[in-house]
Amino acid sequence: MTLLAVEKLEVVYHRVITAVQGVSLEVPEGAIVALLGTNGAGKTTTLRAISGFIGLDDARVTEGAIRYRGSRIENRPPHRVTRLGIALVPERNKVFENLSVEENLAAVVPAPGRSFEPDLVYQYFPALAPLRRRAAGYLSGGERQMLAIGAGLACAPELLLVDELSQGLAPRLVEELMHRLQVVRRETRTTVLLVEQNAQVALEVADYGYVMENGRIVLDGKPERLRAHQDVQEFYLGGGAARRSYRDVKQYRRSRRWYG
Amino acid sequence: MSGYYRTRYAEDFALLDTATKKAWLAFLLVSLFIYPFLAGPLALDLANQILLGSIGAVALMLLTGYAGQISLGHAGLLAAGAFTTGILFKELGAGIWVTLPASAAVGAALGLVFGLPSLRLRGLYLAVSTLALHFIVTFAGGEYETRRGYSTGIIIDSPISDPRAWYLVLLAAAAATLLFGSNLLRARTGRAWRAIHGREAVAEALGVSVHRAKLSAFVVSSTLTALAGCLFAYYRGFVSAEAFSLYLTIQYVAMIIIGGMGSLLGAVLGTIFVVLFPYAIDIAMSALGLAERLSSVVFAVNYSAFGLVMIAFLVFEPQGLVGLWRRLQSWFLLWPFKQRPLA
Amino acid sequence: MQLAVNILVLASIYALICCGYVLIYKVSRVLSLAHGELMMLGAYGLYATASLFSGHPLVALAAAAALALAVGVAVYAALMWRMTGESVLAAVLATIALGILLRGAMILMFGTQTQYPLRDLGWTNASLDLGAARISAVGLTLILSTALVYGALAVFLRLTRWGIRMRAAGQYPLLAAQRGIGLHGIYALAWGLATFTAGLAGMLIACDAGLEGTLVIIGLKAFPAALVGGLDSLVGALLGSLVVASAEVLLIHYVDPLLSDVVPFVILLAMLVARPWGLLGTREELDRV
Repeated sequence: MTLLAVEKLEVVYHRVITAVQGVSLEVPEGAIVALLGTNGAGKTTTLRAISGFIGLDDARVTEGAIRYRGSRIENRPPHRVTRLGIALVPERNKVFENLSVEENLAAVVPAPGRSFEPDLVYQYFPALAPLRRRAAGYLSGGERQMLAIGAGLACAPELLLVDELSQGLAPRLVEELMHRLQVVRRETRTTVLLVEQNAQVALEVADYGYVMENGRIVLDGKPERLRAHQDVQEFYLGGGAARRSYRDVKQYRRSRRWYG
Repeated sequence: MSGYYRTRYAEDFALLDTATKKAWLAFLLVSLFIYPFLAGPLALDLANQILLGSIGAVALMLLTGYAGQISLGHAGLLAAGAFTTGILFKELGAGIWVTLPASAAVGAALGLVFGLPSLRLRGLYLAVSTLALHFIVTFAGGEYETRRGYSTGIIIDSPISDPRAWYLVLLAAAAATLLFGSNLLRARTGRAWRAIHGREAVAEALGVSVHRAKLSAFVVSSTLTALAGCLFAYYRGFVSAEAFSLYLTIQYVAMIIIGGMGSLLGAVLGTIFVVLFPYAIDIAMSALGLAERLSSVVFAVNYSAFGLVMIAFLVFEPQGLVGLWRRLQSWFLLWPFKQRPLA
Repeated sequence: MQLAVNILVLASIYALICCGYVLIYKVSRVLSLAHGELMMLGAYGLYATASLFSGHPLVALAAAAALALAVGVAVYAALMWRMTGESVLAAVLATIALGILLRGAMILMFGTQTQYPLRDLGWTNASLDLGAARISAVGLTLILSTALVYGALAVFLRLTRWGIRMRAAGQYPLLAAQRGIGLHGIYALAWGLATFTAGLAGMLIACDAGLEGTLVIIGLKAFPAALVGGLDSLVGALLGSLVVASAEVLLIHYVDPLLSDVVPFVILLAMLVARPWGLLGTREELDRV
């Protein structure tokens, strides 16, 4: 059943800049859904709109709806959204740097009615176990991301929103983290919405994928279909056989291939 | 052909471009000149206070509203000007033509001192440093009083005693300050101030010397403030350290906030509001029949009401009276259309 | 030796008040300049409850303490929550305006006479002989209370979950909210605790020296102590209070009694010039503002 449904979402910054136009997506329960796209496509904005944190940047959902288990959650205060069981692993500032790893996990307030043992986090991310007392500011990038995901999980969420997991991390580490996410999903039945620039890795773990560009969803489908799609290959996966001239590319983009 | 056309450079630089504005200004000037001859003694005193206060308010507006340097030491600078006047008068018998430039010089020097922390500190910490300097300056003034035996204050002979004469002098001073301020703002210095208020790093990248801009803001502002302090000393005929309390600083800060930050008109409007406020409270108290009962603690009523009003403005109308005025203007100009502002 | 005792008592007063400055700043990045007035409010609270519960001094004390806590939460709920997210200057000015409002209100409610709550409680301020020095009973209570309060706060912030959440909220409020920490609750708690400690300080000072309008200045003088130690460090507040208190007492004794009001600010200025983030504050604070 659909856990999260975004219907024709429109998000406007400062009342004049439309960052997200008419985005619709569905996240079924227990699935890992990937939201792909380059910088500035509107992925983080969509994620922020779902988690309720858009008011800070003077943005608003002006049209459309976000439904979580059927009830609308757009433009709600963030702590309300967190109460429903939606946790966000943000892109920046993901851990409390002056607190130790242990304290980072202790600081989390689980969603009401759900509990989560912080020790389970050490189970999923064994690399964190010896670092319990270390201040989070001294962790390496990969450890920090593990802690961030762990803290997100410690909220015992039903839906985990992960923003740019791969940013700044070595490829092997990214693969490992992605596989851990799969393990977590398998064992805790947590649904995951993954926002990623690294389409390759994301499509390896996802059950379904959406591609965003300029604030719109331009393509969606199962990972096999996406991977096989020529445009995705060319723009995101580094494929594309011959080098095209710029003129060709412009005409190419103008054609309606994205709707095929 | 209708519309605003500029065909000469002089028109670009002019403060008033349209005939309507010039007409309004003429009307304003005429009414200001007639005022002292029509007003009673209380109204005249109020006007004098407003004019005197507006000099300090404009100075603070230049520093905090335009250059963005928070200063909680305003009363200290006023005290510096007033005490310079008092000390020179008592020690050397100096007349106004000595004390005025001396106050300005002291103000400039103190401005440098007050401004030095701004080179390293911003925001909260800068405000705190100016607060500390305020206490030190007022302490020094108080020390002088006790050492020299003027524990009840220094009495100064004022060259002007007629309130009407004072009105014209203060009007000239306030007008000069406003003119000076607005010209400075239109010039390179003012643009530098606005740049550092916006984003210091970008200003520096654009070639604005941030240090120089900050210090110039402090120095200009404190010179004007010290001059206001000097005039204050002569107007009251009396200088005492207790008059320059933190509450006085807050009143000036309230003037620029209630008036509306970032606007010289706001400084004037704010001054009018804050100066007239105690009298409005008086009238309200008499109207409510409380005047008798609370006569002994009327200053406490003032305090509470002032605090309340300041909170109200901070919470509900952070853009101050100017913000209200502008909203009124745009409502009037755009009617029947409505437009939500972008900011 | 007597000087050392005086320093300790004064430092305790400053430390208790500083605790409030630091708590509020650490948790919500707001500098509350209304603390002197809140301290006085606590003292007047004791005066009020002492008259109300005359004959039951302990009840009066407890009631006054609870009142101080409630007032702190009320201040947040009524005013300061609107200021979260506004610029720092606006929040600070709001606290200044609140202080002015409180001062006027207190004079209107309680008049301008000096009060002696200790007498109303039915206790006397005995003077204890420590051999080389004397200390008043209230002075001793001050020192002990400060130690107790700081100890309790240290345990709370370091070891309990909500204490950790408070520190987290102070560091990255957005991330804290994302982790389910209710920011309004945390800030209200911080304000409540801060006002409680300030009220406690006010009550004890009023018991020691009597309650009158000039008490407010002590609150303002405690502020440099907080800054010297570092606005977001409780241990720093203790250190800063010791430094400022020592300087004040020693200079009054050896140089000039009139210096007492200006010494803290000279130290403050020196600290701001040399090391703005204080002795134990975190350095990034400077770039944040």
